[in-house]
Amino acid sequence: MDNLITHIDYIAAVVLFLIGLYIMLVRQNLLKKLLGLNIMETAVFAFIVTTGMVHDGSPPLLAADASGPFASALPHALVLTGIVVAVSITALALALIIRIQREYGTIELQELLNHSASGQSHSGVRQ
Amino acid sequence: MRSWLAIVLMVVLGVLMIIAVIQLPQPGSPDAPAQTHVSAYYVEGGKELGGAENLVTAVLLNFRALDTFGEVVVIFSALVAVLAVAAAVAGTGPAGITRTAAETESVEVSPLVAFMVRLLAPFIATFAVFVMLKGHVLPGGGFQGGAVLGAMLILLALFAHRPKPSRFGHPAGLFWLRATGVLAFVLVGLLGLAMTGWMFAMPHDPLAREAMMIALELGIGIGGAAVLIGLFRALADG
Repeated sequence: MDNLITHIDYIAAVVLFLIGLYIMLVRQNLLKKLLGLNIMETAVFAFIVTTGMVHDGSPPLLAADASGPFASALPHALVLTGIVVAVSITALALALIIRIQREYGTIELQELLNHSASGQSHSGVRQ
Repeated sequence: MRSWLAIVLMVVLGVLMIIAVIQLPQPGSPDAPAQTHVSAYYVEGGKELGGAENLVTAVLLNFRALDTFGEVVVIFSALVAVLAVAAAVAGTGPAGITRTAAETESVEVSPLVAFMVRLLAPFIATFAVFVMLKGHVLPGGGFQGGAVLGAMLILLALFAHRPKPSRFGHPAGLFWLRATGVLAFVLVGLLGLAMTGWMFAMPHDPLAREAMMIALELGIGIGGAAVLIGLFRALADG
């Protein structure tokens, strides 16, 4: 049970991840689903950065007068890569959402599903 | 999905994941594998082998240069994909949809905001270039500087209507500007191949290594900023 206190940083990342997953599953608006995905990504980044943390550590800048312990540099570099990929995913998803809105006049998932079930051609109504 | 079902799923997943994470080494403990294996090696030899005092930059541009090259290609591909989707929107929009005046005309910006943005823009740009150039010594680097520069360009586009698309250079030049990150990486990688026999490797001469790092950082930064403003424009126009 002590671990629940000492590992509170990891648990916070888990909670954030679940909040994002819940939004992705429950919300029907595609834009809100994308926001949920971004929250999940943030949770993963927080988790990975936390693994690189060290108590009383300093940033991994090896200047002449720097003294250790140094925070691990590898998680930071990985998360930097991850952030760039997350930005790319967000931009592409936004472009696709704009396209769906133009094509079908809605970005509510249920309306889109009804639309494809009824098989009618797109109405072109904008909301 | 029904929300009660989702909440049950969240509780089950949450319990499983919390059981998993509390068995990890304590966060911040110096004995954790994350601190003792590769990281210890980086701290030990990162300055000499990696060629940068900032270990994150050393990892990004030297130890894991291939990963970073992939990253630059990913963000460039994202821009190409967004442009393709936006072009499809512009080309094949269903008939009957015309843009209303509210969509095409921008909201009037307060002159105070526009003035402040224009006043601050040179300072933001200077800071961005500083972050790029000193990325191998101080916290910062190409991606961070590129993000700052891209944010400045987006601010200008939002509040000062600059740079105007027509005055931003002809499309071919813009395309090359957006590909700067990828091109800089390929060129420096080939230079490393010529000088050491390994792709993306850097020679041991400190001056040459620093020059290659700065070239990479500038390429990533300028290319990243061009991609960011390109994404913004494609989304705003599409």
